[in-house]
Amino acid sequence: MHAPTIRSPQALAPVRRGFVRRNLPYFLIAPSVIMLLALIAYPLLFALKSSFYFWNLQVGPQPLAFVGFDNYVEALNAFDFRAALTNTLILSILGTAIEFSLGLAIALVLLKALAGMNVVRALLILPTTIAPIVVGFLFRYLYDPGGGLVTWVLQSLLLPVPAEGILGSPSTALAAILFVDIWQWTPFFAIVLYASLLAVPDEIIEAARLDRASAWTILMRIKLPLIRRTAIIIVMLRFMQIFNTFDTVLVLTRGGPGTSTRTLGYSLYEQGLVNFNVGLVSAQTWIAVLIVNIIVVLYVFFAFRNEEW
Amino acid sequence: MKSRTTFYTALTYAAGLLCLAVFIGPILWFLALAIRPAETAFAMPPQLTFEPTLDAFRHILVDPGTNAPQLVNSLIVAIGAVLLNLPFSVPAAYALSRFKMRGKKNIMLWYLGLLMAPPIAFLIPYFVLITRVGLQGSYFSMVLVLQTLTIPFSVWLMKSFIDEVPAELEEAARVDGARWYTIMWRITLPIVRPGIIVTSMFAFVFAWNNAAFPLVLSSRSTATLPIGTLGYFATSGVTWNYIAAAAVLAMIPPMIIFLVFDRYVVRGLTFGSVKG
Repeated sequence: MHAPTIRSPQALAPVRRGFVRRNLPYFLIAPSVIMLLALIAYPLLFALKSSFYFWNLQVGPQPLAFVGFDNYVEALNAFDFRAALTNTLILSILGTAIEFSLGLAIALVLLKALAGMNVVRALLILPTTIAPIVVGFLFRYLYDPGGGLVTWVLQSLLLPVPAEGILGSPSTALAAILFVDIWQWTPFFAIVLYASLLAVPDEIIEAARLDRASAWTILMRIKLPLIRRTAIIIVMLRFMQIFNTFDTVLVLTRGGPGTSTRTLGYSLYEQGLVNFNVGLVSAQTWIAVLIVNIIVVLYVFFAFRNEEW
Repeated sequence: MKSRTTFYTALTYAAGLLCLAVFIGPILWFLALAIRPAETAFAMPPQLTFEPTLDAFRHILVDPGTNAPQLVNSLIVAIGAVLLNLPFSVPAAYALSRFKMRGKKNIMLWYLGLLMAPPIAFLIPYFVLITRVGLQGSYFSMVLVLQTLTIPFSVWLMKSFIDEVPAELEEAARVDGARWYTIMWRITLPIVRPGIIVTSMFAFVFAWNNAAFPLVLSSRSTATLPIGTLGYFATSGVTWNYIAAAAVLAMIPPMIIFLVFDRYVVRGLTFGSVKG
């Protein structure tokens, strides 16, 4: 490379440094963005293309025929896929709501600075640290109809337990799955909300108390608005995680009995990795991606509207 | 007034104990399963006392038969995921924390959005891709795809740690004529070493606990612990004490990490939205 002779190197240097300097933050971010794009673009494009073909790996290694939107139509008309959508929405909405409320209640208990409470707080995080698949095994053991601890406790309390077991009955299986998610993730909400509430300045609370605000008003009008941003983020993350749940379902019920615990995540697993129905599962993937994106975009738009970064 | 306070104190302790019973009790009961004789696992009523035995752990660790040493595989994959993660996420976090730039909010939200991608939906494409480039069954394939989870989370977490380093320190160095990379390498990064450690720990736990990717990408010889538990579940009836032993091995490292780094974990989970 020859430097232009008209301009002296001294004159050139600031321009080059200026370009690098001006765009430095983008250069620093670029490697991670390129890496992530490379990792997600391929699966998404692969699924988009395959979703228009009849392609089942059990039938042949290559796509057999171009079928247009048939896979989408088939997915949306299939009874089990619609059941999966419904179950997933029930699980994610109820799960997030219950975990947030219960977690908030526990966080408020933890905030009472009593001796020994910090030990409770430190131990409480443990369910969240366990791999979902392991949590699945843990509860499969607890729910066992012939000697599981939960079954035994319910029977001892004279509560009705289905003869085919908690996980074996369509009336209780989905609730049992929901309970597992609540068990694992309520502590997560409790700890995060506790940490956020800890950072709310005491003076504001004192001032409100002097104005005779009730504990409920202080919570709703002062504490919650102040921890808004953390709450928005963790609610969003959790909602989407439940939306994608599959490991616990795989271990606990395999979507059954019937379609009572079938979730979107499990449906994708079964169509893709058990039936190898690549075309159909690709259509299901895109339906799921579109639903998730619509929910997230709406949520982000309304929740982060007035946030500064 | 006094008795009212005592009443509320008692109530608070009762609530705390109830929480421990509900959330920690099941874990202890499952830990016991790994060391109890197999025939007492489903005794009705539950047996609290038993002759502890380490047979299941011996089977998993010392004499795994045709199974691979899954504990070692899990360690390789998780440590590999951490090492690949840092060079990508630390510079990005530094930039997002230290520089003004257009579209910062969108970039931050984009990383967050990636944490929500359904990993299951990506498994078949990854499997096809990895097979095409001839990496099937390799540790590297798992380490690589795990970055879809670890990079976005690490960027957010690291940014919150770097945010807390006073800008004056960097200003002083800049006045002395130091370049940005000298400042980042010599001043900021050494100060946020605890943040790097905690970020690595989170990435480790994410990789360690992940079951979806190894389910498809691992081979018999590179299977990780979660896959191991699934294996004991599938073959020759349910061998509960083997499952429990493998599961306990999978549970312990994340638990130790979260208990040791308790203070940072709490702050990390708030994504830097609060100072604590």
